[in-house]
Amino acid sequence: MQDQLSALLAKAAAELPAVKTRPEFEAAKARYVGPHGELTALMKQLGTVPKEQRPAVGRLINEAKGTLQSHLDTALARIGEAELAAQLGPAVDATLPSPDSGPGTIHPLTQVREEMCRILRKVGFSIADGPEVETEFYCFDALNTPSDHPARDEKDTFYFPVSARFGNVSKKVPEERYLLRTHTSSVQIRTMLKGPPPIRIVSPGRVYRRDTTDATHSANFHQLECLYVDRKVTVRDLKALLDYIFVALLGKDTKTRFRPHYFGYTEPSFEVDLSAKHLPKVRKEWIEIGGCGMVDPAVFDAVGYDSEVWSGYAFGMGLERLAMLLYGIDDIRYFYQNDLRFLRQFG
Amino acid sequence: MKISLNWLKDYVALDASVEEITRAITFLGFEVEGVATTGAPPLEHVVVGEILTRARHPNADKLSVCTVDVGPAGGVKTIVCGAHNCDAGNRVLVALPGAVLPGNFQIKESKIRGQSSAGMMCSPDEIGMGTDHSGLLLLPGRPELGLPIHQALPPGDTVFDVEITPNRPDCQSHLGIARELAAWFKLPLLYPQEKFRGVIDESAPGGARPDLLRSVRVEAPEDCPLYTAHVITGIKIGPSPQWLQDRLVAVGLRPINNVVDVGNYVMLETGQPLHAFDARRLEGNEIVVRRAVDGETITTLDGKPRTLSHRMLVIADAKAPVVIAGIMGGENSGVGPDTTDLVLECAIFKRQSIRATSRKLGLSSDSSYRFERGVDPHTALEAAYRAIDLILETAGGRVTGPAYRIGSDVPWQREIVVTHDYITERLGFDIPAADMRAAFEALDLTITREEETVHPARGPAWTVNIPSWRDDLDRPIDLVEEVLRLYGSDRIPPAVVQSPGLEADDDPIVLFERRWRDYLVGHDCHECVTTTLRPAKEVMTWSSHAAAAELALANPFVEDQSHLRPTLIPGLLEALKLNQSRGVAADRLFETGRIFVERNGQILECAAVAFVLAEPVGTRSWLSRPAPDFYQAKHHVMALAAAAGAEFSRSPLGPISGASGWQENHSAAAGDLAGPGWIARFGLLNLALVRAAGLEGRIHAGIFAIRPERLSREATRRRYAEFSLFPAALRDLAVVVDRSVPAADVQKAIAKAARAAVGNSFAVESVKVFDCYEGSGLPEGRKSLAFSLVFRSAERTLTDDEVNAAFQKLQDELTRVAGYQVRK
Repeated sequence: MQDQLSALLAKAAAELPAVKTRPEFEAAKARYVGPHGELTALMKQLGTVPKEQRPAVGRLINEAKGTLQSHLDTALARIGEAELAAQLGPAVDATLPSPDSGPGTIHPLTQVREEMCRILRKVGFSIADGPEVETEFYCFDALNTPSDHPARDEKDTFYFPVSARFGNVSKKVPEERYLLRTHTSSVQIRTMLKGPPPIRIVSPGRVYRRDTTDATHSANFHQLECLYVDRKVTVRDLKALLDYIFVALLGKDTKTRFRPHYFGYTEPSFEVDLSAKHLPKVRKEWIEIGGCGMVDPAVFDAVGYDSEVWSGYAFGMGLERLAMLLYGIDDIRYFYQNDLRFLRQFG
Repeated sequence: MKISLNWLKDYVALDASVEEITRAITFLGFEVEGVATTGAPPLEHVVVGEILTRARHPNADKLSVCTVDVGPAGGVKTIVCGAHNCDAGNRVLVALPGAVLPGNFQIKESKIRGQSSAGMMCSPDEIGMGTDHSGLLLLPGRPELGLPIHQALPPGDTVFDVEITPNRPDCQSHLGIARELAAWFKLPLLYPQEKFRGVIDESAPGGARPDLLRSVRVEAPEDCPLYTAHVITGIKIGPSPQWLQDRLVAVGLRPINNVVDVGNYVMLETGQPLHAFDARRLEGNEIVVRRAVDGETITTLDGKPRTLSHRMLVIADAKAPVVIAGIMGGENSGVGPDTTDLVLECAIFKRQSIRATSRKLGLSSDSSYRFERGVDPHTALEAAYRAIDLILETAGGRVTGPAYRIGSDVPWQREIVVTHDYITERLGFDIPAADMRAAFEALDLTITREEETVHPARGPAWTVNIPSWRDDLDRPIDLVEEVLRLYGSDRIPPAVVQSPGLEADDDPIVLFERRWRDYLVGHDCHECVTTTLRPAKEVMTWSSHAAAAELALANPFVEDQSHLRPTLIPGLLEALKLNQSRGVAADRLFETGRIFVERNGQILECAAVAFVLAEPVGTRSWLSRPAPDFYQAKHHVMALAAAAGAEFSRSPLGPISGASGWQENHSAAAGDLAGPGWIARFGLLNLALVRAAGLEGRIHAGIFAIRPERLSREATRRRYAEFSLFPAALRDLAVVVDRSVPAADVQKAIAKAARAAVGNSFAVESVKVFDCYEGSGLPEGRKSLAFSLVFRSAERTLTDDEVNAAFQKLQDELTRVAGYQVRK
């Protein structure tokens, strides 16, 4: 029996290291310890061994079984490792570039808009939106722009034929014409007509002017406007907002200044200058960044707010201009060409 | 408008520096677009000297050593000079040690190549007079030695280019700006002295000349509220005196002759346009202010014939129009070299009428510019008298009459009551009442009455008289601005932003656009911004001709930007093309923005997102990736739709109908703007169109658009649904169907049959297609679709037997009812 066991173990020790795959291993395992396996057959012989020898033989068989099992375990571990190694393939060269293009990028105009909205969100402005196709009432009449004002001229504003029908842009009066909004102030009118004050909104969006396209002009561009209407809103509050915005955007040393100006929808009105030392490619002490003022009582009249009770301020600026100043871009057309070498610079 | 500093000084004794005046104009509310200085600047230690001797520099060929006599300013100096024209006898400007020339160039005694030099002789550019540095500035007329530069050279001027806001027509004049500056610097305003006061001496030699102007009739008083005419005889046309010419030249006008120049001068002084006729060239010696007759013509002073219409106001004589009222005179009636008698018109024309005519004719002038913005009718006669004074002064002659004055001159009267408290409340900070009062007075806004308000602490109430030229001041709020202007809008005290909480949320469109953008950027796409206005041809490629017609602007500016965009795709293709042509690899682009889609004869403005996925062309990689395909586009569109809350799975997919840039049989559409309020299009772009656009390779794309008002709906809160923890039972099933049968139909049929087969005993969790096959082993025109079915129970582990039984029943049912051939 002992010889048989030794021979079996020797055979297993010789055979198992050569087993390469899991099916081969399973077959080999069955040959030794399966129901018809060689070791199983030897174990069955234990019954024929004289009674007094049985403990010793039993011990031998158990020892052999243990040894065989360790041969099997070793073989299985080796096969497992070989399988994992096969999944790996050759070592990578980590310095090779990824063939995937990317990462995707967010347009600089979007980034500037989002940054401004984030700054304004912090002081309680919510973002309002409105149609780009507008009517004369929302774009002009309600904003105290008389019907013969040059801004309303067909020379400066895009109009649609009288027959045009826009299903989801409401008219105030049936006879007014549709046009492409020249500023996002129309959103202010729609917001004020929707509900009572107080309101505090920022309206970014695309606007249109009938203008030659050149390095600083484009037929469509983007604006961002703020409107705050409440009791006792003052000029000082407006200045505080502008100071806050540009300090948040450009750092605590940034200064703004107001120069008196004229806009039909605000009184008093100001142009806003920004101290330019932070800005690339600007060789002036101050640079104009937008317009603002206290909402003209005529605008409140147009939307049915009592101008004796409510006061408010409005501020507006061009997003392209802001982006050009922030990034030092000197041609507005780059924004609409979408050259990836341009877009990738802003991430 | 160009404003001359010398001219301003006639009315206000300005001694402030140019910088201070520039700042004053700026903070008064007028943007200074430029400041130009002519003449010599008052540089210290720059004086007249005469070159006595000139000798070659011993150590430098191109330099000379000169002795220069600067007279009382320091006697004879030795100066090294590099100019070619430093010849003895020339009188030149000498910058002595201590002088600081423009560009902070400090003059010191120095040694130049071993030769000491006690100053510098100057070329024009070195003293800031132009850019000429070819040689020394030689002074004509032998000015006195030692004379300072600004006395030696003709006096200069400073001209401010000022943008006048439309609310301040009174400042379209030197007097208007002077009035503002007088208020700012707290100086008195000096009006020009008037001699003629409207009194005509008919007994003077020559007497009255009613024959020269027999009648003046205003037939269109609604367009011409005031018309005045004066006859001046015996004038002599000639050049204007130098001072007058200098002023006109300084502000950019060309002197013509004394009478025309006076007209321009008075307009630039007072803001009131004037016109002078040769009295002898007025047919019938009469003036009619009337509307033109349709088709009437006039040749204007610029030599161009103009055809008039019945809405245009003209000044006519007995025969024909001689002036387009307030805009431009005709060639035939103007003042010429031989004019001796003239009619001086000073009138007020209605701004709307002038604006409409000017625009219609595409003709504007300094005169029409002012009338369009508004001219004060109450100071018109003063301007006429001023012009008469200057004509008599420069051209001689005599006012003979007759003088006409037609139209009503309603006396001007306006008062605004404003309280100190009101102004303080609007400003948000305190300006002392005395300062406010001073501001009003400085601007000629006379306080006619001051009262204490009910609450003395709130300060006084003022009744403020508004002068006729300040028609822009109408309400108390307008006076707030006046106070702040003079106080200084750069003095608004700093404050902290007050932001009491308001219940308001961002517009949903912002949220959705942000989601779309995040999704696509996360899939390596680059955000683009393209133009909304597109060419007609392109729009007709992407939508029907009828729809394109609805998208057209009434007044496009350029031909290739005539229509609203019905889709974002062409803009993205343009961006691909631009990158491709510049040799920049670009394959994944997207844009979010508005598109305009026709539906049932109406245009709907929609929020949209679109992307293009191009096959990489011309770029090679050491490791290749599969090219984008239809199902990638579908995947992205579905994700974008889901981000907007659109239930894509409930909407049937169909082919894209009508005109479009999509490739038939390789693209699909879903949604409806009229129903669910959104649409989606995706798939392969039309190959021919892409090639015609100059692009190579296949481009897959997708667009999702939604009516913004549909985005505003509140999202319903999701509810948790329980799921089974028992194991699933899996079965695979393949069926053979016609190639044309959509997989989704087969899937639905199998799911339905499966649910029927299992009944209530357990659940069909999913039925998914995992293989689609055509080719060998299958009949022509047939395809095999293989599905994986998942069965599961919420209560127990399913047995093989029950699943097999249900599966068998399902197969029988499919064969029997749906007629599918189930593959074994």
